[in-house]
Amino acid sequence: MTTEESTISPLQARLDARGVSRRTFLKFCVAIAVMAGLGKAAAPDVAQALEKSTSGKLLPVVWLELASCSGCTESTAQVTTPDIASVVLELISLNYSETLSAAAGVSLDKARTDTIAAGGYVAVIEGAVVRGWDGNGLRIGGMKGTDLVKETCEKADAVIAVGSCAVDGGWQAGYPNPADCCGVTEFLKAEGISVPIINIPTCPVNPDWLVAVLVDYIMLGKLPELDDKNMPSLIFGESIHDNCPRRGHFENGEFVYQFGSVEEEKGYCLYAVGCKGPQTYAKCPITRWNESISWCVEAGSPCIGCANADPTRTTRNWVDTMTPFLKRQRNMRIGDLYFQAAPVAATVTGIVAAALVCHGFGMKAAGRTKGGADFEPIRTYDAKKLKQAGKEAPTTPINEGNVEKFTKGGDE
Amino acid sequence: MAHLAHYRESHPLPFVITHWINLVGFILLIFTGFYIHYPFFPNFMSQARGVHIFFGFVIVINCIFRVVAAFFIKSAPAEGTRTVETDIHSWLPQKGNRHQLGAWIKYYLFIKKTHPLGAKFGVPQKISYGLIPFLILFMGYTGLCLWAPAQQVGFFSAGITLLGGLAGVRVWHYVFMWVFIIFIFIHVYLANIEGLSPTFMMFLWKEHPGLTYDPETGTITGYDDLGGSAPKTEAAPVAK
Repeated sequence: MTTEESTISPLQARLDARGVSRRTFLKFCVAIAVMAGLGKAAAPDVAQALEKSTSGKLLPVVWLELASCSGCTESTAQVTTPDIASVVLELISLNYSETLSAAAGVSLDKARTDTIAAGGYVAVIEGAVVRGWDGNGLRIGGMKGTDLVKETCEKADAVIAVGSCAVDGGWQAGYPNPADCCGVTEFLKAEGISVPIINIPTCPVNPDWLVAVLVDYIMLGKLPELDDKNMPSLIFGESIHDNCPRRGHFENGEFVYQFGSVEEEKGYCLYAVGCKGPQTYAKCPITRWNESISWCVEAGSPCIGCANADPTRTTRNWVDTMTPFLKRQRNMRIGDLYFQAAPVAATVTGIVAAALVCHGFGMKAAGRTKGGADFEPIRTYDAKKLKQAGKEAPTTPINEGNVEKFTKGGDE
Repeated sequence: MAHLAHYRESHPLPFVITHWINLVGFILLIFTGFYIHYPFFPNFMSQARGVHIFFGFVIVINCIFRVVAAFFIKSAPAEGTRTVETDIHSWLPQKGNRHQLGAWIKYYLFIKKTHPLGAKFGVPQKISYGLIPFLILFMGYTGLCLWAPAQQVGFFSAGITLLGGLAGVRVWHYVFMWVFIIFIFIHVYLANIEGLSPTFMMFLWKEHPGLTYDPETGTITGYDDLGGSAPKTEAAPVAK
């Protein structure tokens, strides 16, 4: 069984129709080439690959939306502002998407099963896998969400987990995680399904990163270089802090301590209001969002660390590890009790200090503060041993005043 | 009241220096660490980070030197004696420490009236000193995990994953700094509560008269007034 191949008019004609100049298109190709780790010199190759893929079969994609807010779909589609990325995204054949497909019901489901049967497709997963209630927490088209993921990912050439929820459960898996959500990696591992996975966290996913990964895949026919968390190294290899436009203010020690202050107006560093940039590895400051117009920190919000993910550990989802967003340090939790380390540690230390002061008064009262108590003439243990042997142990404590009575008379 | 004579042999000059480095380093590291945790006044961040990172390396190198030197430098195995042996012996449990843990705890809880005989350090003291190098190395390791240039080196990135990501490493580094602070409080308190002579010895290398002690037999052997050059402890008339 084969699907009908989607075809498309020549790329240049489509770009012209949208008023995109060749120059703008090539600039976009440079950005994609750099993001895909190919270097600026590869821009013509990228352009060529994009043009070439306008003829013949498009890369079939099945986009599953699981437990999510549809934010990643929104971010990627950017329906109100079609940009070059969306043009290029038409280079893929989005055969199935709950949110975007025009078809509905049985015919949509058939598009999915047909694509799977034909093979050679990429599965894009948005949202967390809901394992709770035996997988019934999320049902689509009468199917358990878990079965849907299994069926779709098993035969895929590659799986792209877009957004933090799909990567490690994201905020869907935040404590206490009643729906038992997890990321695609953890789920497929538990199911014994072995398929190449690319994780692209952040909330929502940055469309340019998804495009970069897809172009890389279309062009080279292989996955981009991934780190130990299967995240593209070139996108998640540098911290937000290191590329931050406010970094200069950080080094100068110019901080926003309160929103609405003069410091905020001056665009100072947001470190003191809980920015998680130093702990977050992503190229947000370079790529930016919304047609590269801006991104969180540039728009005045501290980074909340949404690119932090650990695909194999649901409990390390970015919400649990990064909250409270406006404090410097994450909350700690024992059971249902949340607390900050600072006041607890300071209290314990304060109690120790108070105990030492009390002990000091005790030492003073015991007359030990001027040189300590008199020495035991013999260790208690040794005295016991002597007594057991029927011998007499010395009992008079030794001090400077009487020492010569008990020794050979100052033989030092 | 009674205390043992403090001789330079108990704290050879290299260890007086490493102790000085520790003191200065800890104070600067704790202060700048608090600042980096939350910049409680403006315009000091790059200085704070520079000092913190520099002294972080200093403290770790100092710690490694101190541990290695313990195998080469000789020191007195107890106060009140000028005999010396390799320093590591008095860092590890000694013969003189045997059966004395209970005695020390009872002494500090005022249950035992007389000062326990010891080796160079009492038992609780020895346990805490034994753990401090590990604590310093742990702080150095987590510190480097939080230092951008080291973060992507395998040895550190593995630790970052192990300790719960960078947010987790920050908590470990922070909480163990408080463990350090608690140690310093107890250390300073116990070192000085029975008189300041240990501090004069440790920092100024100044000897102090007192009882002499034979580490071989584990007994008090007499009194050394340091040739009469230093005054005897008050209220300590020598009774013949």
